[in-house]
Amino acid sequence: MDPYDTPESTPRHGASSRLKGYFIGATPLRKRLESVRKQASFVPTPPRRKIPQCSQLQEDNDPQKFAFLLHKQWTLYSLTPLYKFSYTNLKEYSRLLSAFIAAEKQKGLAVEVGEDFNIKVTFSTLLGMKGTQRDPEAFLVQILSKSQLPSENRGQKVLWTGWFCCVFGDSLLETVPEDFTCVPLFLANGAETNTAIVGTWFQETFDCHFSSLAINAFNLSWMAAMWTACKMDQYMATTEFLWSVPCSPQSLDISYAIHPEDAKALWDSVHKTPGEVTQEEVDLFMDCLYSHFHRHFKIHLSATRLVRVSTSVASAHTDGKIKVSLNISS
Amino acid sequence: MDETVAEFIKRTILKIPMTEMMTILKAWDFLPENQLQTVNFRQRKESLVQDLVLLCESKRASLRDAALLDIICEDVDLFDMERFKSSFEKILRRALKNVTVSFRDAEENAVWIRIAWGTQYRKPNQYKPVYVVYYSQTPYAFTSFCHLKSNTPLLSQALTVASNHHKIVKMDLRSRYLDSLKAIVFKQYNQKFETHNSTMPLQETLELDMHMDSRIIHENKIEKERVQRVTQETFGDYPQPRLEFAQYKLETKFRSDFHGGILAERKEPLRCLIKFSSPHLLEALKSLAPAGIADAPLSPLLTCIPNKGMNYFKIRDK
Repeated sequence: MDPYDTPESTPRHGASSRLKGYFIGATPLRKRLESVRKQASFVPTPPRRKIPQCSQLQEDNDPQKFAFLLHKQWTLYSLTPLYKFSYTNLKEYSRLLSAFIAAEKQKGLAVEVGEDFNIKVTFSTLLGMKGTQRDPEAFLVQILSKSQLPSENRGQKVLWTGWFCCVFGDSLLETVPEDFTCVPLFLANGAETNTAIVGTWFQETFDCHFSSLAINAFNLSWMAAMWTACKMDQYMATTEFLWSVPCSPQSLDISYAIHPEDAKALWDSVHKTPGEVTQEEVDLFMDCLYSHFHRHFKIHLSATRLVRVSTSVASAHTDGKIKVSLNISS
Repeated sequence: MDETVAEFIKRTILKIPMTEMMTILKAWDFLPENQLQTVNFRQRKESLVQDLVLLCESKRASLRDAALLDIICEDVDLFDMERFKSSFEKILRRALKNVTVSFRDAEENAVWIRIAWGTQYRKPNQYKPVYVVYYSQTPYAFTSFCHLKSNTPLLSQALTVASNHHKIVKMDLRSRYLDSLKAIVFKQYNQKFETHNSTMPLQETLELDMHMDSRIIHENKIEKERVQRVTQETFGDYPQPRLEFAQYKLETKFRSDFHGGILAERKEPLRCLIKFSSPHLLEALKSLAPAGIADAPLSPLLTCIPNKGMNYFKIRDK
């Protein structure tokens, strides 16, 4: 297993002032998975996860800065540490990557005259997107299309966005040697061809390796529980789960949508420990959903595969796709 | 030949695009090859149609023949057997130098394919061939047991690509009798077998594996047989009608024996929307209990679908 599995972080949804104090950083999850992998014998995993009350992000009170991260589907990848990456060279990287992309695009891929040759790449740091001071700064890469006409210069279209971050990566940072920058989580939005080109450039330039990050059912359950736990004034979307049933010869998908207020009521009834979310609570929450379903259909959802969870806060798919959907204005 | 039949044939042929003309006429098989060759297919369509109608007249085409031509024209997905065969063989040969492929056309648009596998260095083993029967008008192919499992992906790929499909899925449907498989798969099967008894399917699946060790026993045999029986009673022996989805709008209170305190004071029901989707929903549901994913009997909410002819439901507490 890749030892550099990433901390799964979603942007702090505390951009909305209603959601004080809940950070969806899955720190102890990473630690736990690491320890399970490293140790040969079975060790009981920590049963509870503290909800960090304060994080770097809270100190930065500009929610608009992260607005662009919302309402987009991000595909997740895990990334090995970057060799000799420097935050002071970002301009240089922009230039190099621009040139690389232009070269790749000319290599016989379909080229639309005009647009593809006017591409600009920007590298910028995303201050505040981290868990502790120790975490390296997150940074953002964007591919923009430059318009031909000078009059339209202000309207630069963002073709592709990718950002790299490390959130609560303490356990990983302990093992990272010098000269390496550890930003194990990469999120991409935009055409896959662009993701591939950017990925290739990073791999060649910093001797790193990308791999798709799948989110398994266990983690999806945790996400569903934690997101349902968020207190919201207004629910924008229904809470929905999607299971894939391993029956043959026909595939069967079961979608289970529950009114978000009812989901919250269920969670509140399950949740006993303030300031913490425990494994038992997550299990009980899911178990109640299974049990309600079983009562009606006599089908054991626990025997099937949870593939997607979606709440008003965010949604995640097992293929490693997430979307954060908070309404900042409320 | 009747005036009306001639007119009908003329109009039908006029509708055929020139690119498909030869294919359709060959498929129709009313005008023999040698006669077709005397016709000039390069002339203007009206003149061509006139020539063809004259030929039909000389052969005294009946209304039945004309209707058949009409059916063939409607069949959009004209399957070219020769193209399939050559494509299939090409794909195998491209991957494996040493392979023997033979074809035999059979009834009902079926083709029997025999494949003897070799390796890079060894000639094909003619004593352990694999047989495939492909029914071109259906998305089904039946293959015999393949000793060299490593060749299965290649075989699957050849079948998929040559038949113009994009995916091949292995059905968990096995039998020694090709006709039974056909009956099930083509829904020609609507009555009980004479020798049917409720434990027979289970026996078949248990005994199919010829290499099974007699020291291996099946746990919960009685329970499994019960589940099979109950499933059979619920769904019947015949293939299920094909449905893609079922949707349930639930407004029921949360009640659970094991989770006593949860939501105990809440008077309002849980508002849920459940959607089942599957390429063949009823068959999928039928498979749940035997697979251990559901209890037997399955909930009447699901099993009533074909009887009630419904797949949208609103369920409330009584």
